[in-house]
Amino acid sequence: MRVIAKPVPSSRTGRHRAVWVSNLFWYVVLGLASLVTILPFLWTLSTALKGPSDAIFSLPPQLLPRAPTLDNFVKVWGQLPIWRFFLNSLFVATFTVTLNVLVSSLAAYPLAKMRFAGRDLIFYLLLATLIVPAELTYIPGYLLAVNVFNYYDTLWALILPNIFSAFNIFLLRQAYMSVPNDLIDAAHIDGAGELRIWWSVLMPIIRPTVATAAVFTAVTSWNALLWPSLMLRNRELYTLPVGLLALRGMFTADFRLIAAGAIMVIIPMLVAFLFAQRYFINGLTGAVKG
Amino acid sequence: MGIKQRNRLTPYLFLLPALALMAIFTLYPLVSVAYLSFTEYSILSPPQLVGLENYQRLLSDKVFWLSLRHSFTYLLVTPLIIVLAIMLAIAVNRKLRGIGLFRALYYIPVITGSVAIGIAWQFLFDGTGGPVNGWLLQLGIIAKPIIFLVEPGYILPIAMMMTTWMGVGYYMVVFLAGLQAISYDLYDAAKIDGCNDIQKHWYISVPGLRPSIVFVAVISTLSAIKVFDEIFVLSNGTGGMLNSGVTVVFYLWKQAFKLQNVGYASAVAMVLLVITLAFSIINVRLLERQED
Repeated sequence: MRVIAKPVPSSRTGRHRAVWVSNLFWYVVLGLASLVTILPFLWTLSTALKGPSDAIFSLPPQLLPRAPTLDNFVKVWGQLPIWRFFLNSLFVATFTVTLNVLVSSLAAYPLAKMRFAGRDLIFYLLLATLIVPAELTYIPGYLLAVNVFNYYDTLWALILPNIFSAFNIFLLRQAYMSVPNDLIDAAHIDGAGELRIWWSVLMPIIRPTVATAAVFTAVTSWNALLWPSLMLRNRELYTLPVGLLALRGMFTADFRLIAAGAIMVIIPMLVAFLFAQRYFINGLTGAVKG
Repeated sequence: MGIKQRNRLTPYLFLLPALALMAIFTLYPLVSVAYLSFTEYSILSPPQLVGLENYQRLLSDKVFWLSLRHSFTYLLVTPLIIVLAIMLAIAVNRKLRGIGLFRALYYIPVITGSVAIGIAWQFLFDGTGGPVNGWLLQLGIIAKPIIFLVEPGYILPIAMMMTTWMGVGYYMVVFLAGLQAISYDLYDAAKIDGCNDIQKHWYISVPGLRPSIVFVAVISTLSAIKVFDEIFVLSNGTGGMLNSGVTVVFYLWKQAFKLQNVGYASAVAMVLLVITLAFSIINVRLLERQED
């Protein structure tokens, strides 16, 4: 091994200084990256807080409002049912997540732990559906919603097509596979039925993976744009993203109001993230890592 | 693995809800869109079979080719996002006071949603006096404001920047997990061998991250090829001046739901399916090679 003598700091204080300099360097790097991350949010917030006398666009660009005001928020709140949009989003996300996780964890159990004819076929069929882009299903999905299920322009249109997820099934199957068979056998011997075993024995064990699937599904549902914008006509049913699009259309000329709307729409997700940060980061990333 | 059931129907009953929903919401639409791609259908009158006419039309449709080119150009997001996310992961992979705060901060764009972010980016790049124009003017880089989101050359790069900005925090976490799986001993050995900090990452972190890099490349190319939201929000639903931002999925949406050319749009959808299929095959190969 080739050993190259590096200038070693001679004293403790020297070493200390080296650490201090290195830390400072990284804080500067991290700080600059943070600036890039928050600038769009900060600019939007600043625009939302500006009154009519404060120029939105000026040279040099003016980040801080001279006379900050909440008028824009009040005005947007009065003209659009943002609260309603929030409840709609919440309704859709709650039902989508609950039903999706239930259906997925039911389906994943036999795929992981039972032997039956056609298991491989079903497995590969599910795998194949992972490739199909959701966008591909929107045209027939639209026709189904209008002609067959009659749920066009209802919130169920956003829930029902999103209950099946091959992705979550695979994720949960992986979790079941790590549960020892002995545990299931013991429950059998105790006389428990499969449904009992699934619900009372297995679900508690795979709970972390269920949480992962739930967070992933919730964020996807909450931020969905294209499908909800196709399905919803009645303004009272808009979800937050669709409502924000409508808001932008309404206030085309008034950037201050659009900005205030955008800030209000961001807040619920931001609050959820701040409180359950770990779940979000582990969940969203864990989900795709499988 | 595998446990004998007392009731032979049990596994099927567990699978039934999922399979039924799959049949209705994935398999049926797949067959249906394939059928519709051979028809002329404008919602008002029932679909009429026209053979390969839609596909022939696609071949000579300049906007369709443009949308294909844009979607493939969009793949440039993948290398960009990988490099930035690795750099960010290396930066946050250290014990510093408040490091958790930085990690969380970089993650916020991931969960915020494309409409609010798109609006924020419209403000930044506003043509009459958004801050980006303001700063460029101040620095003397440009002489007069650029109407970024209207001039054809800019919308696609701006959308790509937005995608990168929205996604980088997510991939950062993936790479962070990858970095934390690399043994410290390797870095120590490199130090003894005289590697400087940059060499250390080039010779150890990057090869160590190979599995994560392949994984990120797979998911980010698949989502780049299907990009819609960014273009839709940044162009106010127009696809940009002279179709300068139109991607394949945007074109699908426009033909199907704006122009009601459902049959024609279905043909576009089939092309999308073929592209994602091809990419999936390439991806499976990549993943297999990695396992060797």
